[in-house]
Amino acid sequence: MRLLHWLPGRLLSAIVVLLGASILIFAAVRSLPGDFAQIVLGPLSNEEQREQLRQSFGFDRSLPEQYLLWLGNAARGDFGLSLASQQPVLDELASRLPVTALLAGMAMLVTIAIGIPLGVYAGTHASTGRGSAAARIVSTIGISFPEFVLGCLVVFLFSRFDLGLSVGAFTSPTTDFGRGVVSLLLPALVLSVFCVAATARTTRDAVIGVLVEPHIAASVARGEPKGFIIRHHVLRNALIPVLTLTATITAYLLGGAVIVERVFNVPGIGSYLVLALDRRDYTVIQAGVLLATAVFVIASLLIDVLTGLVDPRVSVAKKGRGA
Amino acid sequence: MSAILDIQDVTVEYSTGGTIVRALDGASLAVRAGETVGLVGESGSGKSTLGSLVGRLLPGNASYPEGRVLVDGHDVLQLGVKELRTLRREQLGFIPQDPISALDPTMRIGRQLELALRGLPNDRAALVGHLERVRMREPERVLRLFPHEISGGMAQRIVIAMTMARSPRILIADEPTAALDSNVRSEVTKLVFGLARDAGTTVLWLSHDLRSVGRWCERVAVMYAGRVVEDGPAEQVLGSPTHPYTVALAAADPAGVQPGERIETSSVDVATLAESFRDDERAAKRRAKTRKTDAESADDPEPAPEEEVVAR
Ligand SMILES: Nc1ncnc2c1ncn2[C@@H]1O[C@H](COP(=O)(O)OP(=O)(O)O)[C@@H](O)[C@H]1O
Ligand SMILES: [Mg+2]
Repeated sequence: MRLLHWLPGRLLSAIVVLLGASILIFAAVRSLPGDFAQIVLGPLSNEEQREQLRQSFGFDRSLPEQYLLWLGNAARGDFGLSLASQQPVLDELASRLPVTALLAGMAMLVTIAIGIPLGVYAGTHASTGRGSAAARIVSTIGISFPEFVLGCLVVFLFSRFDLGLSVGAFTSPTTDFGRGVVSLLLPALVLSVFCVAATARTTRDAVIGVLVEPHIAASVARGEPKGFIIRHHVLRNALIPVLTLTATITAYLLGGAVIVERVFNVPGIGSYLVLALDRRDYTVIQAGVLLATAVFVIASLLIDVLTGLVDPRVSVAKKGRGA
Repeated sequence: MSAILDIQDVTVEYSTGGTIVRALDGASLAVRAGETVGLVGESGSGKSTLGSLVGRLLPGNASYPEGRVLVDGHDVLQLGVKELRTLRREQLGFIPQDPISALDPTMRIGRQLELALRGLPNDRAALVGHLERVRMREPERVLRLFPHEISGGMAQRIVIAMTMARSPRILIADEPTAALDSNVRSEVTKLVFGLARDAGTTVLWLSHDLRSVGRWCERVAVMYAGRVVEDGPAEQVLGSPTHPYTVALAAADPAGVQPGERIETSSVDVATLAESFRDDERAAKRRAKTRKTDAESADDPEPAPEEEVVAR
């Protein structure tokens, strides 16, 4: 398989990125000015508590050793105790992960299910009035409504008027999946608005780009019907830039989830991290940022593999660059 | 009316950013079924525009305010979308200049061939058969390759296989060997004319290469500035021409041309000849150069040595 030529190198670079990010995250927290224990525990802490904290962070050792200690524990899933709640960070993250994963997954699904067909329609009807109008409306909505504004608007409308869905009443997907999905419907829709617009836009441009390629002209010359050409030759080729965009969308969903969870009061990882920031709960912040980085790195890796499967030329290019 | 293709006084204009280019300016050409017609002319004289017009395949910025194109009596420029599609599918075949870009880069050769042959037998054995017909080596392996893994010569054979599989009544080949390595040109040319003869296909061969035109086409039409300025049996047009362009050809080629015979002169395109009017000395130098490259790649009908290098 062609993938095997470049996949090991790509894996290695993913690991390097993760390690680099972990150093940055570690350094960022440790380089806060002042006594770390004092910052972390607050001015009201006593010397005994501070000493205990310094011990648990291994402050008697050198910085590289401390980093390795932290990294080694993190790799085993041990992110330490939350400074605020004294509970293991891992347990708190794990209990909130399904909520955020479901929220992001639903938003991604909406993005794909609406953004791609819309983009294909706009791209294949680019020369007609209706196609370009569709493209304009979608990108205007997507760009002019940041999800904070849109989220507040939705929260207001749905709590002020009886519109069938309630906001704020949250059901965890682990207790009742169906009701969990329903309760996340509005946040997921708000979260997906920008992604739908970006995906529709990218898909449209990609389709327009593919339509002028000579191989499309060749199938037109063979007398193939329009629908056949779009299905067999346009979609697959146009998918390549859309897949690339998916990496950006993943990052965007991670960031957007923080805001949307906050606005809709969803107890996911995003709102947990905001809370941790408020409380300066550094063990949680470190773990959360590291987790987000890992999700992004893994998602990009998966997308690269998918792109390599769709476009055989990609693997050749990567191989060439790597050598 | 016995012409299978009748182009009557067509005008085609391209509009680009406010300016209008008149690519065809009252061009006419009638071709009888089974004829092989070479359409020659300098670059920009309108050959490609005329060829595309036969299938109404011009880009969106083109308009055709005047003239008619009849294919087997059907008025191509007036046909509905569906009839036009059927006409392209059942009567016409096109071979482009750059074969690699005419293939879908994301799809294996076998799959695209299968799609192109929809409606005909297109199982594995049939596909292999089609590749063997265009004398492809290792057809089984080629079916599994992607377009970027094959050479231009192989790609052109695949395009020819796709096109000739339906035995079109009219084949329009737009400089089909121009993008190929010189050592495979004559073989590909021979292949196209051979398949066309077997299928009784009428050939409109758009070319710069007067030598191959003289060798393979019964009839030659010369285009200049969007019109067909000279048209007749190859022997007559290339041997005793009347238009300045073709006269220039005769001047450069005193031996004259016999159809079906090896032409012993260098391959000189019309654009070069036109220039020879203006600048004799420069043209002489260029001809000398052309002759040299020709000597290196003798026009040998034997299959070329391993051309199809595959990157894996
Ligand atoms: N898509 C296009 N847009 C604008 N002008 C074009 C286009 N295609 C061809 N032309 C112009 O039309 C004229 C004829 O071109 P063409 O038919 O390609 O000639 P040939 O095939 O003999 O080189 C040229 O002047 C060329 O610049
Ligand atoms: Mg041309």
